[in-house]
Amino acid sequence: MQFYKWTAFSYTPWVILPVVLGVVSTMLMYDEHQNDMLKQLWIIPVSRAGYFFSKFTIVLFYSICFMLLTAAASVFFGTLPGYITVEWGSIVYLLRKCVEIAILTAFSVLPLLTVAASGKSYIFPVCVTLVYTFLGFILLMVNMYLHPLSSMTAIVMRDIPGVVLTQKLNIPAAFICIAIWCTGSALFAVSSLGKRK
Amino acid sequence: MSKYVIETKQLTKNYGEQTAVNAVNIHVEKGRIYGLLGRNGAGKTTIMKMILGLTPVTSGEVDVFGQNIKGREKRVYPRIGAIIETPGFYPNLTGTENLEIFAKLRGTAAPNAVKNALGIVGLPYRDKKLFSKYSLGMKQRLGIANAILHDPELLILDEPTNGLDPIGIAEVRGFIKALSTERGKTILISSHILSEIALLADDIGIIDHGVLLEENSMEVLEEKNSKYILLQVSDIPKTSLVLERQFGVTDYSVQDDHFLRIYNTSLDMAAVNKALVVQDVAVISSQLCNDTLEDYFKKITGGEGIA
Repeated sequence: MQFYKWTAFSYTPWVILPVVLGVVSTMLMYDEHQNDMLKQLWIIPVSRAGYFFSKFTIVLFYSICFMLLTAAASVFFGTLPGYITVEWGSIVYLLRKCVEIAILTAFSVLPLLTVAASGKSYIFPVCVTLVYTFLGFILLMVNMYLHPLSSMTAIVMRDIPGVVLTQKLNIPAAFICIAIWCTGSALFAVSSLGKRK
Repeated sequence: MSKYVIETKQLTKNYGEQTAVNAVNIHVEKGRIYGLLGRNGAGKTTIMKMILGLTPVTSGEVDVFGQNIKGREKRVYPRIGAIIETPGFYPNLTGTENLEIFAKLRGTAAPNAVKNALGIVGLPYRDKKLFSKYSLGMKQRLGIANAILHDPELLILDEPTNGLDPIGIAEVRGFIKALSTERGKTILISSHILSEIALLADDIGIIDHGVLLEENSMEVLEEKNSKYILLQVSDIPKTSLVLERQFGVTDYSVQDDHFLRIYNTSLDMAAVNKALVVQDVAVISSQLCNDTLEDYFKKITGGEGIA
């Protein structure tokens, strides 16, 4: 378990995965903006909400793939040199936590997809990704229920053995925080896509 | 039910203080090709975007198929094919793959729709060339193929011959004409090239600085182009006297000290020449002239011209 804490449950959900998903979100939105495709899509017609959530589905799928790959790599590189022995119970736990991290992180980075959707630039969303991720990391120590990424961490860390949180765990508050940010982001994204021609 | 497929009423678009389109009334009849002619920046694309609901209208109304498009997009858009500005596609896919995506998004039922559309515009089916490697002309053709993919009733084509070579322009013109004459499509096409519109359109709207200066059928516009006899003589006052007294011609205009225009083209010029020579007026030249559409457009756009 300690090994998995170093690999899959360490900086991966806090920093690496959000940054990777932020960059993926930017790339997904940038392609159609750059190639001036949106107006072609709108007159099919593809709805703004449908367009946005299709992109989110890709981010979600990518996130799950990334975390499953992380889990597989953790097991492989743990067993190969003999650091860990294969225990089905811990592997199932690892997979469950990885899928949980993947889904929650995908929802937590929805604001980044919104930033990418509302602008044409490539640089700005990437900068926002870095600021957003590290802000989540910093706020984790201040208030876990302000930032979606720190809320996600609170949910994920609730049942990892040996993890001691400095703040009182409030899972509903963490879900509410993520839900508020997601709803606000989705509404803003659909509204700003409506203005994009 | 309106007889117009597209009808705009006092259509206006402001960008801040600037008026891009000013109270434009366009009437596109079913089965006809309507050419929107204007210089770059005249407001053609903005009008097309407003018709398609891609840009909000500041004031005025747009009716497509007799109804306002807003709120009825799902019913109206499948009946329209359009290219606005440059056609955009995924650069890392081939033309066929791009069209297949659009066909799926549209729910195009016809199994050979992509193949047929590519065939019409002269692009190969299942070619391995990526869209990013396409020439500007090929991109434009793919854009047209995408517009006609779902066999729409109305085509809105914003400068579709941009970037095409002369042969390509002739080909595109040919199949746009055929879409109208053979398949009864209604087509709204914009261009800044007068000759293109003149060869293609049944009706024409001339726009300049956001204002629709004229809207008429090509036949009417061609009739408006005046024919006249241009006479170069040594003595204008004597020539005027001869024309008025001996031939009863009053429909003429003096251009300068040596040139005058006679608008009655059925006049017996041999007799006029003879009479002028008798009056000791040297006739240097006499020729039948016809003002071109270009001259006419220069005149109505304030001399700046379009072509």
